[in-house]
Amino acid sequence: MTTHTVDAYADRVASPAHGEAPAYHPLDELWLEQRTRENLLSQPLRGLLNVALTFGVFMLIWYVFMDPRGILKWYTPMYGYMYIRWLLIVAIWQAYIFNFWPFRQEWMETAHPLVKGPVLVGINWALTGLLIWGGFFYLVGKFAIPYFSWPELHKLGMSDFFAREYAGLAVLMAAAIASWLAPIWPMAFENYPWHKLTQPAKGLTVLAITSLFTILIFFFFMHGHFGVLFYPWQKFAAAFPWWYGYAKTLSGNFSVGWIMCGTIAVWLVETIWERYPFRLIKTQPLRGIVGFFWVLLVALTMFFSFNLLQDLAWGPAYEGGKRLFAPDWRYLHSGELAVMMLLPALTLYFYFDNWPRKFSPEVNLAVRTTITVGGTFVFNWIYYSVSPPLLGTQPGYSHPQQFPMAPVILWIVIMMYHNWFMDGWPGKRIAKREGA
Amino acid sequence: MSQDVSRRSFMRGASLGVMAGYFGAAGLASTALYRQVLPPEKLDQTDIGELKGLRIKVVSETSWYDNNVFLNDVKGAGGLLVNQYTIPWSVEGVKAGYKGSNLGGFATYIEAELLDGSIKRILLDTGWNPEWMEKRFIEEGVAEKLAKKQIDYWVMSHEHIDHFFGVEAVTKYNPGQDVYVPKGWYPEGYDLLKGKAFPKANVKNAHPHTGKVTVLDSSKVNKMFPGFALLTFDVPIILRVFGEQAMVFNVKDKGLVLVTGCCHMGIITYMETVRKKIKGGEKVYAVQGGLHISPFEDWDPQYDDLIFAFNKYGVQKIGANHCTGFITVEKMIAAKLPVVKGTARTMSKRDIYLGNGDELAIA
Repeated sequence: MTTHTVDAYADRVASPAHGEAPAYHPLDELWLEQRTRENLLSQPLRGLLNVALTFGVFMLIWYVFMDPRGILKWYTPMYGYMYIRWLLIVAIWQAYIFNFWPFRQEWMETAHPLVKGPVLVGINWALTGLLIWGGFFYLVGKFAIPYFSWPELHKLGMSDFFAREYAGLAVLMAAAIASWLAPIWPMAFENYPWHKLTQPAKGLTVLAITSLFTILIFFFFMHGHFGVLFYPWQKFAAAFPWWYGYAKTLSGNFSVGWIMCGTIAVWLVETIWERYPFRLIKTQPLRGIVGFFWVLLVALTMFFSFNLLQDLAWGPAYEGGKRLFAPDWRYLHSGELAVMMLLPALTLYFYFDNWPRKFSPEVNLAVRTTITVGGTFVFNWIYYSVSPPLLGTQPGYSHPQQFPMAPVILWIVIMMYHNWFMDGWPGKRIAKREGA
Repeated sequence: MSQDVSRRSFMRGASLGVMAGYFGAAGLASTALYRQVLPPEKLDQTDIGELKGLRIKVVSETSWYDNNVFLNDVKGAGGLLVNQYTIPWSVEGVKAGYKGSNLGGFATYIEAELLDGSIKRILLDTGWNPEWMEKRFIEEGVAEKLAKKQIDYWVMSHEHIDHFFGVEAVTKYNPGQDVYVPKGWYPEGYDLLKGKAFPKANVKNAHPHTGKVTVLDSSKVNKMFPGFALLTFDVPIILRVFGEQAMVFNVKDKGLVLVTGCCHMGIITYMETVRKKIKGGEKVYAVQGGLHISPFEDWDPQYDDLIFAFNKYGVQKIGANHCTGFITVEKMIAAKLPVVKGTARTMSKRDIYLGNGDELAIA
């Protein structure tokens, strides 16, 4: 027996709780917001089965591509981590910025998830490879900034291993910014002022504007890191890392930490918080501007909270410390903790119908936030208990060659593939239109 | 109805208040109230006694001879997280190597003079290439002392290839020598000690160890004899290794001397731990050994943080070598840190730090 439900987002737009008038009408029409799905299984079986399914796929992909004991062993770590980051961003581009263009709505509604999924994932992987190899390694790195290119760094005399690692680091640092900015435009601004354009013009325009901001922010927050990374110090090519006085580190991990909190804040706002409270604002661009700063405020609060939590757990970091006591690792780990927060949030949103939905929006949000925070601590404990045997990593919190963000983001990417590209099948499927 | 509205309003206000309160409090506590929230630092210093003097001889600091060959071995195997016992390390055809092998090793020999004038002899680590290490042990008189059972303490800093895989060069001369290892060794490490071979990694031990193995953990300062203690750090390390221990000596009228194998925990972390756990830890007179900063001549802005911070600790002699890296030492010299120069002989490449056969004497 199947039960008809619609997605959480469509629900809050079309029929909000308590008989209130719809809070707002979106300027843009995303496929993910329009689609209506029916449940093929009841809860909690549906949720548990789908979580297990995505975890199984994640483990398979991790073993084939990343695991140091596996087949391709790309988790060296920067090389594999770089791909994972960009898989996420390209998926966001496909679903949120290009709204699945060039595929037609009819195909999106009628194609079986087992057809749709491989096609869309195939495009995701192909675009990611093209972007990294064609865009970064052989275009930007070759003609503009060598540190974006593995082959160019090697040609300049660096060992092949570190040429790949350094270039991987640069490419993934750019990805950190893109993963924060790319979803903001469709979510907060709803693609305003280009919402009336058709695809692909709209997608290309939003991609261009978010990429422009990504480049600008990279130069202000990351480029200084690469000035110090090479010997001798590239003082004429990159300014002294201006954050040093506050952060007590020259490392760009300071920025990676708070920017990752920004990425996670975007998705918390989009999923378990249902764009609350800035969705109450009815006009653009005010709603977008408030949304942007709301995300920033949440991000910085998360960042400072996680920093404090670590200081309480391990004592304060000190300048020049390594591992647990390195200031830059602490900042990075705040970003890692934020990513760990996203996993329970997305699990709740994707697989447990964004429970609860029966109370007022504020209560719903508060309950979901509490579940997410609790789930973060539980997941953190599980991760550090089982990751060495499961993922081929080493025990311990701080290790110079491993980043919990990589496996966690990969699992999140698999969840996104499953929900965005495959409609959550086999737990759900697209509901047939009446008369169809 | 009015009750419903009232209840709803209350729930809205309460939930919003809780959320705002949580984020507000967290944000405020992490910035304005930071100092008030954190507990005060506690010192728990142990008196380790004093020595009259110390001689530290670099037996071998050249762990491998061609960095690119080493890194290609690592890259081919799948990176720096791969199990070191499964990597086919290059042992032939390396132009810059020792008899074509890229493998060298790290070992240090220490003589400590106690206040009563007696001498205690310590061997730190066994190196990597047994042929190279045996040559160096013979040249520095360590092999003879092992054979005559004159080595009082054999300490393994950690399980890494270049500190441990040459174990048969030691057990050949005294298989019954007792050894101290840090907590965290993998089963393969104990198996190699007992004589198991790992052909894929080109490592064997033809002289199984028969002495006592003492495992030290990080729960306390491990006092060995007056003026000498070992500190263990629970630190995960590249190539699937866990745990490292390092030495603390207290030389009368000089201060503390820290001797390391690789110092994966970081030299600043090591000095901060000494400050908190060892009496007189505020004054570190000298550090000697590998500082694991740029072992592959790679770099990270975090390492500049370390060099900036190093100056604040007032260390008077830095006998760094091995995995400290030439880039680091060049930066240290530029930052006017007191790096002790070497003589660049016996396959050590440069004289900017203490090399093979060089000695640091403190008395």
